[in-house]
Amino acid sequence: MDKNIAVKVDDLTVAYNYKPVLWDIDLEIPEGVLMAIVGPNGAGKSTLIKAILGILKPIAGSVSIYGKPYKKQLQLVAYVPQKGSVDWDFPTTALDVVMMGTYGSLGWIKRPRQKDKKAALEALEKVGMLAFKGRQISQLSGGQQQRIFLARALVQNASIYFMDEPFQGVDATTEITIINILKELRKAGKTVIVVHHDLQTVPEYFDWVTFLNVKKIATGPVKDIFNDDNLTKTYGINYKVSIQE
Amino acid sequence: MNNAQIEIQIIASLVSIACAIPGTFLVLRKMAMISDAISHSILPGIVIGFFLTQDLNSPILILFAAFTGIITVVLVEYIQKTGLVKEDTAIGLVFPALFSIGVILIAKNANDVHLDVDAVLLGELAFAPFDRLLILGTDVGPKALWIIGVILFITITLLIAFFKELKVSTFDAGLAASLGFSPAIIHYGLMSVASVTTVGAFDAVGAILVVALMIAPAATAYLLTTDLKKMLALAIGFGVLSAISGYWFAHWLDASIAGSITTMLGLIFLFVYLFAPSKGVIAVLYREKQQRAEVSLLTFLLHLKNHTELEERHVNHLREHINWQRVRAKAVLELALKNNMIVVDKNIVSLTKKGDTFTSKAIDYIITNRDAQIEDMKDDFFLFRG
Repeated sequence: MDKNIAVKVDDLTVAYNYKPVLWDIDLEIPEGVLMAIVGPNGAGKSTLIKAILGILKPIAGSVSIYGKPYKKQLQLVAYVPQKGSVDWDFPTTALDVVMMGTYGSLGWIKRPRQKDKKAALEALEKVGMLAFKGRQISQLSGGQQQRIFLARALVQNASIYFMDEPFQGVDATTEITIINILKELRKAGKTVIVVHHDLQTVPEYFDWVTFLNVKKIATGPVKDIFNDDNLTKTYGINYKVSIQE
Repeated sequence: MNNAQIEIQIIASLVSIACAIPGTFLVLRKMAMISDAISHSILPGIVIGFFLTQDLNSPILILFAAFTGIITVVLVEYIQKTGLVKEDTAIGLVFPALFSIGVILIAKNANDVHLDVDAVLLGELAFAPFDRLLILGTDVGPKALWIIGVILFITITLLIAFFKELKVSTFDAGLAASLGFSPAIIHYGLMSVASVTTVGAFDAVGAILVVALMIAPAATAYLLTTDLKKMLALAIGFGVLSAISGYWFAHWLDASIAGSITTMLGLIFLFVYLFAPSKGVIAVLYREKQQRAEVSLLTFLLHLKNHTELEERHVNHLREHINWQRVRAKAVLELALKNNMIVVDKNIVSLTKKGDTFTSKAIDYIITNRDAQIEDMKDDFFLFRG
């Protein structure tokens, strides 16, 4: 393959209390794809992202981002956790949450400056949330909260974006906003990796897909591998989706 | 006021500031009970430190006891990680065990020193001015004042330096980790500050008041603001207010200073809990009442919009059709009239232009759940606020 490999995962095994949730994963994600990770509940989709980002420690295997360990490539990567993973009653505003995206480039102790604030405002505008910048985050709807999270990742101006179920429980406006931004990112040559639940939208939204169920089932272009065979292997039941050409 | 009185109030105020800062983060991290655990389990650290140094105010003793605090946190996390018990159970297992070791050590070995269980639980702020710090024979003030002053200085320095790291790891530990700010380092840093503060404040105010000073001001501030910096400032303010008012309350009652300060903390919390503008109990009840009225109003307006027939819009028929009790129907009618949404002509109710637009917009919002177009309505109606 001619393309650069953005993310490379080798023999990755992750366990919770000695029970493996990911088993011997080998995965190469080429630069510039918009990839969905699909699989049933408990397949280890979020765990895979967290292990790549070093949030969880694998018991075996290694991960590299453009050929180097993640710790050396922090600036290249942005992460959007599941919306439910944080306490939205935290005393802070939409703008402040987006500003957190700039903290990585600042490093320890240094404070955000005017240009960081400007970048945060621009990101808010991109996701259509500028009017809500001063709003306390618990006063936002679920879709708006998700857009704030996306804006926070955009501020990082990364090369690779990891998103954990960004379409979970959001309204139609938000879903369209998010997918348009993801497609723009791909157009700009970025790599976007999304944990995704809705199989119906995979062919429409993504160009690359990874089937995961504790082990990797398949990975590759949607048009080649998104078929009943792989779906059945992944979900364990006779799965039929009609793919519209 | 004599000198001793002023000194006691300054010590109490500094202790309350030093506690409010880590306390705010403990409350936001839902770890309030860990401060209870630390405050009790540092006791064996203090006792062993005292045997080693023979000085209750030695910095070595403070570090030794703070280290016991960290051990508590590690033990609690270790037990919790086994997955066999939940965090609160783990806390309940660890600190009584360590505390009781401290109690036994005191009873066996320290009968002749100023270290008894009463003082451990409640402290003795009233005696703090008697223990002076002498530098080259000059009296520079009470030792307790210097100890807590140094701890407070370190706490504030760390807070200013690592404010953004504390904020991001408290709000979103996953993001903090992915940005390269190790949540574990920040967590143990915060626990160390909480432990050192607890030890420093311990001799002055005792194990129970330390917990109250960490949690109550932060919990009170949480009800009043949606900004982390303001929450810290308010927590500090409530801490100092309770410290000083509590001192005078004790003076007036001739009772324990620690007990009086804790009482003040409780009273201030209760007051804010009831009367806080948006999160207070009364505000919440009022809002619920408003929302009920608004839902009724909307139902009523919708009925008018859907029915053009005159008999459907007669005042008396409306009551029957929507099947409301008389009182509620009257209130809704008045609310709609007051907002110029309906006109009543010969007992026939009709929507005004404003009422018609409002109903369409509201229904559209409820169906599409789209926020942007009803922004201007949010200020007038509770119903449409999140």
